[in-house]
Amino acid sequence: MAGGSLLLAACNSRGPKSAERLLDYAERKNESVERFLFRHTSMDMAGRNVPNTSAVPIYYIAPTVPIWNTAVSGPWTLEISGLVERPVTLTLADLQRLPSVSQRVNHYCVEGWTAVEQWTGVRLASLARMVGVRPDAHYVDFQSFDDDYHESWDIESATHPQTLIAYGMDGALLGPAHGGPARVYSPVKLGYKNTKYLTKVVFLPARNGGYWSDQGYEWYGGV
Amino acid sequence: MKRHHWIVRVTHWVSVVAITIMVGSGLRIFNAYPAFGRPGTKFCCYPFEGTPIPAWLTFGGWLGGARHWHFAMMWVLVVTGAVYMTFVYLSGEWRDLVPRRGDPRDVMQMIKFYLFIRKHHPRQGKNNALQKGAYFIMPWIGVLIVLTGIAIWKPVELAPLTNLFGGYLWARYWHFVGMSALVFLILGHIFMVFTVDPYAIPSMITGNYDERLSPEARDARPFYHLLPPPERKQP
Repeated sequence: MAGGSLLLAACNSRGPKSAERLLDYAERKNESVERFLFRHTSMDMAGRNVPNTSAVPIYYIAPTVPIWNTAVSGPWTLEISGLVERPVTLTLADLQRLPSVSQRVNHYCVEGWTAVEQWTGVRLASLARMVGVRPDAHYVDFQSFDDDYHESWDIESATHPQTLIAYGMDGALLGPAHGGPARVYSPVKLGYKNTKYLTKVVFLPARNGGYWSDQGYEWYGGV
Repeated sequence: MKRHHWIVRVTHWVSVVAITIMVGSGLRIFNAYPAFGRPGTKFCCYPFEGTPIPAWLTFGGWLGGARHWHFAMMWVLVVTGAVYMTFVYLSGEWRDLVPRRGDPRDVMQMIKFYLFIRKHHPRQGKNNALQKGAYFIMPWIGVLIVLTGIAIWKPVELAPLTNLFGGYLWARYWHFVGMSALVFLILGHIFMVFTVDPYAIPSMITGNYDERLSPEARDARPFYHLLPPPERKQP
């Protein structure tokens, strides 16, 4: 850090104060470029000859692995609410009864590594149709029981066909190590945007930041 | 006649700033995962897997900060590079840089001269054969770096581009290799400017250059004949 931190003395997470406006401006412009490039028809595909990554890093922000405690909180449910006509609360069994998708895709971490896994779950686009998303819902917030971890998305990315509410990984039910009972999984966003330990999907008129986006990572985080 | 057009001078110095920040922030981004293989796998072609770059060579402080700098400065570099390459093409200056059949022979002569095998500096045009090669290849390495950079920025939205480089892992690798090659040439350039032709530095600022002080006129090698030749007394 020596050179970097000396150079960046008296600065916040974005670098020197004087550069902050420039970097914010660039981030906004980059977001419009990324949104321009975004297509529901652009699909990620993991190479057929690439084995599933056995050593996917386990990650959460709570001090210990977040495990849903049925004795304290009752059975785990997923609430889908906000700007929707018919808000619902789904149990894991409800979720598993809905038409499911399995996809073998890449995981793109902000740190630069990638991993390959098979994910099983329900398309958020199908859930959005089910609850009747109102036209003024432009953003979606994915909230979790991993402390206050959440990340909000633009609705276009959230309704991409590869954006799943995933409850299965590599053929097994999603365990506590990787965000179970259910998590967001989509290759169109960087890893930190894919909220694990999901409890709520809230459709919103405006963006609502996120755990890492509020700390200075790009809010859009598109891939 | 100026040695360097003002467009070349401006794009040169803007590139100095932009490349410095891009390399520094890029190395900081790399340090978040200083390897090319997927977690838990080996990668064939990088000898320092898992070893971070020394922090003093990095810029941006932390991963998020470095990413903001990288994604802001990339536009400056792309625009500057495009302006420079368009100028070189439209002005016809590309003719001074494009490789020609006699170049390998001229490169050998330059190397022989630097190794004291050849006594006098070979005749040259604006640039010697080694410079020509370096200045020709550098913008194309830049193009490779930009394309591989876009490929790892948007591996899903621009998957065909990413696949062109062999997928995300390899695109990231070629991005790093391209950067290393460019830095290598830049360090060589800086070394040669200071040890062979420091008189060229003002020419990249004002555009003026005294041909009587050229390396060819001085028979200059690194650290050798650095001072101007003694003026001959008029009879």
